[in-house]
Amino acid sequence: MPLYGTLDITRDSKHLPTLANLDTEAWTLPKAETMQLLVEVPRSSTDGLLPKAMHPALPSYVILAVTRYPESPVGPFNLAQLRLGSRAGAHPRGFLLGAVASTDAAAMELRARWGLPVEQGEVKFLRRHDRVMGTVKKDGKTILDCALINPQPVAGTDVQYINWVTAANAPLDDTMQPMLIQVDPKYTFYKAERGTPQVSAFDGKAWNASAIALADPIVATCCTVDTDLPRIRFVMDPLKPVFQGTRRIRESRADE
Amino acid sequence: MGHVLRPLTPPPRYERGTSPYEWGGTGAPMKFGLFYEISVPRPWTPEKERTVYVNCLEQVKLADELGFEHVWAVEHHFLEEYSHCSAPELFLTACAMVTKTIQVGHGIVVCVPEFNHPIKIAEKTATLDILSGGRLHVGTGRSATWTELGGFRANPDITKKSWDEFVRCLPKMWMQETFAYQGEFWSMPERTILPKPYQKPHPPMWVAVTSPGTEIDAADRGLGSLGLSFAGFEEQEKKIKEYRRRIRSCEPVGAFVNEQVATTNFLFCHEDNDKGVEMGKRLGNTFNYLATQLISTREVYSSPSYQSLGLLPALRRAATGPEANEQQTEGMAYGDPARIIKAIKRWESLGVDCINFILNANEVVPQDQVMASLRLFAKEVMPHFAKKPANAAAAE
Repeated sequence: MPLYGTLDITRDSKHLPTLANLDTEAWTLPKAETMQLLVEVPRSSTDGLLPKAMHPALPSYVILAVTRYPESPVGPFNLAQLRLGSRAGAHPRGFLLGAVASTDAAAMELRARWGLPVEQGEVKFLRRHDRVMGTVKKDGKTILDCALINPQPVAGTDVQYINWVTAANAPLDDTMQPMLIQVDPKYTFYKAERGTPQVSAFDGKAWNASAIALADPIVATCCTVDTDLPRIRFVMDPLKPVFQGTRRIRESRADE
Repeated sequence: MGHVLRPLTPPPRYERGTSPYEWGGTGAPMKFGLFYEISVPRPWTPEKERTVYVNCLEQVKLADELGFEHVWAVEHHFLEEYSHCSAPELFLTACAMVTKTIQVGHGIVVCVPEFNHPIKIAEKTATLDILSGGRLHVGTGRSATWTELGGFRANPDITKKSWDEFVRCLPKMWMQETFAYQGEFWSMPERTILPKPYQKPHPPMWVAVTSPGTEIDAADRGLGSLGLSFAGFEEQEKKIKEYRRRIRSCEPVGAFVNEQVATTNFLFCHEDNDKGVEMGKRLGNTFNYLATQLISTREVYSSPSYQSLGLLPALRRAATGPEANEQQTEGMAYGDPARIIKAIKRWESLGVDCINFILNANEVVPQDQVMASLRLFAKEVMPHFAKKPANAAAAE
C-alpha cells in the first residue's frame, strides 16, 4: 500500500497551535488575490515532515502561497504559506508546514481558530503587468522572494486549489490533544492567470522545513477569488491512517 | 520459458466496408479481455517484480485457452505500486509468444513526443503485429498524470494536439511505402518505415476514454472507444449513445472505422457469491486506493487541456465515500456466476461490445484464486454470451 509519513506530532506537541475549541465561526474573505507556486522537491528532503496519518504525494511537491485579503473580520492582511503536497486517504491535501501573516491580529486569530502555524512578519503581495511578486520577511530577514512571471489569463475552471491540513492541539472528548484539522476554503473565481514560477529566495528553516530544497518548478497561478475560512468539519487522528481516524465534527457547510 | 515462434496464421485482410470492426453493428457476441496495469506491492524485490510478471503471463496463457479475446497492457511510468508496466510492447510480445489466438492490445501507447517518437511507435507496433501473427490492437492516448507528464518534461497544454497528429500519421506510416511529414510536433524527411504491419490495411486503432468528451474524439476519428473508467450504467449509456451517433459521420484517420466500445471492469468469480463479492470488493478497493494516490495533471498544473480529473473523482468516491458499497457493486463483475451474468447482461444491453477485466491489484488476490476465477468465468459465464444478443440480431 502507499507510503505513509513518518512525523509523530504527538511527541512534541507543545509548539503546535492550540485551539480553545473546534467551534470557530467561519470567516468570509471577499476579493482575495492569491498567488500559488507549485514546485517539486526531492522526496528525501520531505522526510519527517508529513504526519504518520497521511500519504506523501509522488513526486513530492510544495505549494508556496501568498495571498492578499483586503477584507476580513480582523481587517486587511496578507498571508504566506508553505504547504506540502500529500494525501489524506484518497484525497489530495496540502499539509501546512509554516505560515506568516502581516498583522499580529491575523496571526493570532488564525492560530487560535483554525490551528494554522502562523507567525507575524512582513508579507508583501505586489502586482505588475509582467509579474506578480510575493516577498516575506521575518525578523528583518527575507525568507521568501517569489514571483509568477508573464501572467496569462486562464479560466477559473482550469485551476484547482486543494484543501489544507494543519496540526494543532484542540479539545476533543474533553481532552486537549494533538490532532490534524482539515481546513477547506471554497473559491469563487473572478480572474485567473497562469505563469512561470520563480523563487529567488527561500529559507526552509524559517518555514519549519529546513531540509526542503526547491527543485523543479511546476506552474504558478494567481487568482482573484471570493473565499473563506470555514468552520472546522473534519479532524483526524495524527497516528492512524485517515480512513480509520477521521472524525466529522459537523455535518456540512450549510450550518455556517 | 523456451517458447518458439509458431507458424503464422493468415491475418485478416479487410477492404473498406468488409471489416468486422467497421461500423461495429455486426451483432457480434460480447467479447471478453484482460486488462493489465501490472501492479506490484512494496517492497520491490527483483523476485517480486518477476513473480508479478510471471503471474500475469500465466493468466494470459490460460485466458487464451479459455477463449478470452483480448489482452491489453497499459503504458505507465513512475506510478509506484499502481503500475509497473512501462514497456508494454515487451510484455505483449511475451504474451503473443505464449498464446495462440488471443489478441494483444496496447492500452494505450502514449502519443506525446517526449514519451514516444511516432516513428518508433509505427515500427514497434508493426513488429509486434508480425510477431503475433496479426493479433495487434493499437490503443492511443496522452497520459493523465503529472507524475508522468512532468517526469518526461512534457507540456500538458499540448498533449491533445500531439495525440491528434500522431493518430493521423500512424496509419499512413504503416500503409504508405514511403512517408514524409512536417507537422507542429514532429517532422521527418521521406523514408521507408519498416516493417509494415502483418494486418492489412493496418491494426485496429482505439483511444483511451477517461475524460468526458474523449468518446467524441474517438467517434469523430473512427477509433474504438477503450473505456478505462468505471462509470455507472447511466453515464456509460450516454457516452455510448453519443459515440454511436457521432461515428456515423466520422472522417476516419485510418483505412477503416473501428466502431467498438470497450469498458473496464474488475473480475472475481467464485461459486460462493458472498466470497466472490468480498474478494472482488477487496480487489476494487485496492485498485481504487492506489489510483487515488496518483497526481492528476489538473491537481498541480492548471491547464485548459486537463479540465477534468478523469476517472479519479469516481475512484475517490468508490474508495472512501459513503456510497462506496453501492457504487462498487453496480455493474461490477464479481460474485457468483449468476450475479456476474446479470451485470454483464446489463452492460450488453447498453451497447458495450467488449469488457476488459482487471484481475488483480497489488497482488491482493492469490494467483491460484485468480486462475480459478478465470476458469469458473469461462465455464459458467462465457457460454451465456456466446451468441448474438437479441437486440443485435433483431437489428440485422
